Amino acid sequence: MTTTLDERIDAAFVPGGRTVASDPYPWPFDGNLKPQNTAIVVIDMQVDFCAPGGYVDSMGYDLSNTRAPIAPIAKLLEVARAKDFTVIHTREGHKPDLSDLPANKRWRSQRIGAGIGDQGPCGRILVRGEPGWEIIPELQPIAGEPIIDKPGKGSFLATDFDLVLQTKGIRNIVLCGVTTDVCVHTTMRDANDRGYECLVLSDCTGATKLENHLAALDMVKMQGGVFGAVATSDAFIAAIA
Amino acid sequence: MARIMARPFDFPLDPARVALIVIDMQRDFLEPGGFGESLGNDVSRLQAIVPATARLIEGFRAAGRPVIHTRECHRPDLSDCPPAKRLRGAPGSRIGDAGPMGRILIAGEPGAEIVPELFPIAGELVIDKPGKGAFHATDLSAHLETLGVTQLVFAGVTTEVCVQTTMREANDRGFECLIAEDATESYFAEFKRAAIDMIVAQGAIVGWAAPVEAIVAGLAAEEGAKQAGSETSAEPAPAGSAPGESARAASAVSPAPIGFGAGL
Repeated sequence: MTTTLDERIDAAFVPGGRTVASDPYPWPFDGNLKPQNTAIVVIDMQVDFCAPGGYVDSMGYDLSNTRAPIAPIAKLLEVARAKDFTVIHTREGHKPDLSDLPANKRWRSQRIGAGIGDQGPCGRILVRGEPGWEIIPELQPIAGEPIIDKPGKGSFLATDFDLVLQTKGIRNIVLCGVTTDVCVHTTMRDANDRGYECLVLSDCTGATKLENHLAALDMVKMQGGVFGAVATSDAFIAAIA
Repeated sequence: MARIMARPFDFPLDPARVALIVIDMQRDFLEPGGFGESLGNDVSRLQAIVPATARLIEGFRAAGRPVIHTRECHRPDLSDCPPAKRLRGAPGSRIGDAGPMGRILIAGEPGAEIVPELFPIAGELVIDKPGKGAFHATDLSAHLETLGVTQLVFAGVTTEVCVQTTMREANDRGFECLIAEDATESYFAEFKRAAIDMIVAQGAIVGWAAPVEAIVAGLAAEEGAKQAGSETSAEPAPAGSAPGESARAASAVSPAPIGFGAGL
């Protein structure tokens, strides 16, 4: 029996399904929201990006933007873990021999005085195993939560992220972490292109510049939700309660 | 450019763009008392290719070309192990179960480690792969791009499973692929023969096949020509492979020291 795409979409809708109060549409599109098919993905909440003494701090950026999501993410994780949602963490970092570091990425990082692989305030910058590369203490993964070590901004490139999601039967992705306009957005775009239904939580993400955070959230909502939808963590928690 | 006598016709070796991939020469597959033998396989067939594989690795090290090692293994929490793969194992000897050399096919366990004779030396890439192919869900592609590699020589086990899958993946991605016939093996002689026949069929539809001796000679001829044509002495070959030294050096890269996805 063959079906058209529209028939399959109609069939996907869950009668009386759960959705999150989100913008620009109630997410997920078909109301199929349950712990078994939904992952909370926490992007790059690492010492170097959002802890005092990390290299973003040492570059003189205002940390308040990247630290603001910590408390909301911690609260979200508590609820999501209690409800048995999958939680996945990512870390941006390179192998100690830098064999997975593209030349232009190193060159550009050196130009702003924070060369990847060079000694920073918390060990070698963005190198796996260094103190600055670790996830901040407030958001430490618990046993059984996969950690994806990624060399790029996106979480799919050169990783097993897609395989882990497929193996766990994940269809919905809830995005948290830093920074909204860089790693969160790249991951969301990659996931969206692969057919995952994505939601970004506005208070669980942050950027080095507030304008970029706001613009990045705005971009998601264009064209009927070109990359998915945007909600607050309170709205998501209310939907899964 | 060196021409290597190969099937179905000469392989045009580009010594500036070639790398060696040694597939899954792991203790659990090769050693008596390992997982492979516990399934009733004759591991002596696989053991027999260790010396030729070692000569091939030495040839690449001497020529200063990359040697890449792969290990088939999964995250300890099995989050990268499809149920369909795990459930095909016999109950009690599935991936993740306690095996003769630690948990079966789990990263960091003794059985998942590369055999001592072929241990990576410092600086050599080790790819932990959850599938049969080394490109799937790994960073191999990104590394090959960074290295500027366009040709791959394959060794390892087993010919018809992980070696052939990876070779097909590489072929579709545009790499020129050559399998070292006497540095690859299967638990089943007829499968090795059939796999290589399929590879070289239809004008090298997947790639070429040649013996280790011809490949090493091709690399060495290039190296010699380079040295003869140069006023300055050539770079010394990378650190040798004295067993003690290799084991020490390799601890930096193997087993992967950090996190669950460290090999990825």
